[in-house]
Amino acid sequence: MIAGWRLPLRIARRDALRAKGRSILMLVMIALPVMGVTAADVLIQTQDVSSVESLDRRLGTEAAAKVSYGGERVGRQEQGLDPDSGASGGDVGSMPPPTLATVLAALGGERRGIEVGGSYLSVKTDKGSVEAGGTEVDLEDPLARGLFRLEDGRWPRNADEVVVNAALAQRGPGLGERIRFKIDKSLGGSGTEVERVVVGIAESASVKDWGQVAGPRGSVPLPVRPDASERYWLIGGGPVTWDDVLKLNALGALVVSRSVISDPSPAALAADRALTGESGIDDATVTVAILVVVMALIEVVLLAGPAFAVGARRQARPLALIAASGGTPQQARRVVLATGLVIGTAGAIGGVVLGIAGAAALNPILQRSNGSWFGPFEVPWPHLLGVALFGLISALVAAVVPAWIASRQDVVAVLAGRRGDRRPSARSPFIGVALVGAGIALAALGAGQRQTTSASFIALSAICCVLGMLFLVPVVVVGFARLGRRLPLALRFAVRDAARHRTRTTPAVAAVAATVMGVIAFGIGTSSDEARNEATYVPSLPMGSASVGADDGSGDPVAWGPYVDAVAAELPDARIDQVRGIPYVGPGGISTSIGFTGPDDTPLLSSFSSNLGSGVYVYDGDLPEFIAAIDGFDAAAAEKTLAAGGAVVFADDDRPVRAVDITVESYDQNGMTDEETTAGEKNVPAIAFDLRGRAPGTGIIPRAMAKRLGLGVTTVGLVVNGATISKAQQKDIDERLNSLSPSGFLYVERGYQTPPDIWLVQLVLGGLGAILMLGGTLTATFLALSDARPDLATLSAVGAAPRVRRGVAAAYALAVGGIGALLGVVIGFVPGIAVTYPLTSQGWQTCSAQSCFSSSDFQPDHYLAVPWLLIGGVVVLLPLLCAAIVWVFARSRLPLVARLS
Amino acid sequence: MTTILKLDAVSRVHGEGATEVTALNAVTFTASAGELVAVMGPSGSGKSTLLTLAGGLDSPSSGTVLVEGADLATLGNQGRARLRRTAIGYVFQDFNLIPALTAAENVSLPLELDGVGVAKARAAALVALGQVGIPDLADRFPDEMSGGQQQRVAIARAVVGDRRLILADEPTGALDTETGEDILRLLRLRCDEGAAGVLVTHEPRHAAWADRVVFLRDGVVVDESGGTSVDALLDADRV
Repeated sequence: MIAGWRLPLRIARRDALRAKGRSILMLVMIALPVMGVTAADVLIQTQDVSSVESLDRRLGTEAAAKVSYGGERVGRQEQGLDPDSGASGGDVGSMPPPTLATVLAALGGERRGIEVGGSYLSVKTDKGSVEAGGTEVDLEDPLARGLFRLEDGRWPRNADEVVVNAALAQRGPGLGERIRFKIDKSLGGSGTEVERVVVGIAESASVKDWGQVAGPRGSVPLPVRPDASERYWLIGGGPVTWDDVLKLNALGALVVSRSVISDPSPAALAADRALTGESGIDDATVTVAILVVVMALIEVVLLAGPAFAVGARRQARPLALIAASGGTPQQARRVVLATGLVIGTAGAIGGVVLGIAGAAALNPILQRSNGSWFGPFEVPWPHLLGVALFGLISALVAAVVPAWIASRQDVVAVLAGRRGDRRPSARSPFIGVALVGAGIALAALGAGQRQTTSASFIALSAICCVLGMLFLVPVVVVGFARLGRRLPLALRFAVRDAARHRTRTTPAVAAVAATVMGVIAFGIGTSSDEARNEATYVPSLPMGSASVGADDGSGDPVAWGPYVDAVAAELPDARIDQVRGIPYVGPGGISTSIGFTGPDDTPLLSSFSSNLGSGVYVYDGDLPEFIAAIDGFDAAAAEKTLAAGGAVVFADDDRPVRAVDITVESYDQNGMTDEETTAGEKNVPAIAFDLRGRAPGTGIIPRAMAKRLGLGVTTVGLVVNGATISKAQQKDIDERLNSLSPSGFLYVERGYQTPPDIWLVQLVLGGLGAILMLGGTLTATFLALSDARPDLATLSAVGAAPRVRRGVAAAYALAVGGIGALLGVVIGFVPGIAVTYPLTSQGWQTCSAQSCFSSSDFQPDHYLAVPWLLIGGVVVLLPLLCAAIVWVFARSRLPLVARLS
Repeated sequence: MTTILKLDAVSRVHGEGATEVTALNAVTFTASAGELVAVMGPSGSGKSTLLTLAGGLDSPSSGTVLVEGADLATLGNQGRARLRRTAIGYVFQDFNLIPALTAAENVSLPLELDGVGVAKARAAALVALGQVGIPDLADRFPDEMSGGQQQRVAIARAVVGDRRLILADEPTGALDTETGEDILRLLRLRCDEGAAGVLVTHEPRHAAWADRVVFLRDGVVVDESGGTSVDALLDADRV
């Protein structure tokens, strides 16, 4: 077996060294994707901090374990190896929480521990305030060693001293300066500002760019409530075993043990598996991942295909000689396949090595721009083996068709200096049509499936379409060649040459088509998704109006005067109205939910959009202007109902509603009591307005009704009308509001705005498509030019001007790019349209005990938007761009060469 | 003498209908061990077709081709390939060496294709290269050799492994006179040692090295020199 490959491998290796240009081209095609994936994989693995890698960050370098708990009453805990990756049990239970003493007693032996506390701080900086992390720990204690790294100054020694990290020091209080910070009430803190001295600059082991303040006990005013801050103990002494972990779990504590995570016992592993399961990846995801890899493999194979086809053509004569010397077709195939093996091995190894080197070079650059510390530089060899194998398989698959064709060549014709290509199979187009048909069927099937399985069908459909296209490309290319009779010389030459050398042209055109197909399918998907987002967008206010909110969730009353002043300072001509309503959270942190149900207890409204601190507004003799202006809202009828003591409700449909039931549910969101309070009124006279897709809340009630229901009425926000607010003005107002409260913000209704990341995705998509298309087209074109040297030399010998060669080159690029793009667009519509069904179908419903109503009652079943601009660019501009590049770079003169060379 | 090659009423027709061309028409031809037969004729007379049929690279439209008594039509592709590895050697006008292989590797190619080990095949190749007078060029690549040297390598490849039928298609066409004579002398020598040789040539001067000359025109054998001696032919050529 190996002996049979020895000679082919020797010929392939020597041939690769002799034809350096072609070999380098093939190597680049194989090595580039391998390099890219390797670099990405290494960087992701390096960036990802595993449980073991993160131990020193969480425990410092000395502690054996970190023990934590939550809540005022605790229950038995169940955890895996790392409680941060999997734990269940109760923060709520019947036991009192563990103390350091009970923890140490449970562990036994000679141990000691220290307490660490953490919370979010609001730190005053030179320009205002920023959020930062606060840690309370005795930094000079050996058990805290490694949590922070002192860069400058010294460790704090008393509660008046703290260290900060460089990120925070750069924004304000530096070494030796006084720092002022507080913990907001909304975070459970006192809200009282404290002042400390910065005695050192120290870097946290886990956080890089986010500001950090750390000091000994008393330096950070941690919230009293245990659940409002992070508190844990670092335990010293010998290893904390799995049995110790179970003992502490029984006390209601969770344990991060250095020895359990880094060297787990079988019992610990079994418990971990039982809790976290084997794998979180479902079958559908695996299927889609496999199909994506197959698709990528096809793309790489197609891109490398022309180089292998030309390589095999150049080997035609040696292969014919081998046949003349008694070589079998199998041996001829092996010679071409050996080229794939040689190039694939070199490309795979080279790609992996370059990828690792590239990742090593990029790692520090990415670390600089990342807010967290990366893990140690990690090369995931098992992954990279797979990636290298991918490269090798790509090269081998790219060599399969040329090898098969080479083994079928007419030996006599080749030895006589003629082309030895056999006629293509007449069955190929039928196979192609059948495969595309299967692709369409799979796409239709995928469109009708649930979201989890549809992706597999659609990906499989895309693969079928690409494979079918491969069989159809020769027919299309030949068709264009036949149509080219009246074309100018350069184009005629190009399309005829493309048709004659189908083995070289087919993979190039198919590579371009597959790329375009992906771009179009993805483009249709994102455009349709955007169309759905735009259609289902619910504006909070009439277009151009603005609102000011300051709801920090604490329920504390807001003094709105300064907010009105802040807006008026920037918009002196604007009308600023205070909107009264029932706040989501009232005084004392009491959260209130108000529901309106129509006849037969059916919900009236599925969703609304509001940036104010309420969904139920209160009528005090005048209607809020922003509601009165909504299309479909009858202000006069509403005022009449409200003045008569009835309620105004917003609905998704135009069902006649004369009365509603009102339900009020209140509970203490601070969790001081678990009890819910329920109130309500039945059969309240009401009028409903069909505001589907534009409801600003659930309804309006008169003040008297609010009082009856025991609801506190307050100003829930401001609405700004009568002014055109620019983005710059909005930024200025936001800054003013932020200085009043971190929760203060201005919202301006500008209608649906395409998120910037959508543009970015489309730009990346277009760019990637352009690169792949250019790569495929240019490779095929320059290989074709190299192949057609004798013909071009003859052309120039019979008097063709130098520009004719450039013209032929550009025409070839135009033909390959244009035909590929056209085919890709046509085929791309199949998975593109299919993907819009799972992507944009309305999957949500609103249900009550009695009935359901779906959003599809008033929205289309699915959205389809075709990105014609993208398609135009891909079909027209990109092929022209390819042609222009080739025109510029193609050599215009060539020496006359022997036709048999 | 033992007949090594026998073509019996062999015809070869290319194309069909309006494009039909008869390259060989009921040709009967033999070459025996120790005999060098020259095939002459104008371009398109069917000389090269005769050679490709004899080597099993092409199949006749009708008639039988026998090599050492084996009917090529019954051997199948694999069988014909095996015969080319073991019994038939080709020499082409333009040398046709594989550029990626050294002289020794080109010569040992049929043996390696036949599964012979690399060392053993190289040893046989060195012997063959010694027979054609270039043992010291064994490790040179084709593009490092002159035309004459390349053709000697091609002859070594054709005779390596004790081939009994050598098919030479204008083997001196790309060589100068002196080198051409050397090549023909080698062919003649191999035939004298027991191989059968078929030499396709335009040149009567080269045909003079043969024991027999067969004349082809439009795919038909129009004349055969029979017992005409080499000297007589040479004299005729001088005239």
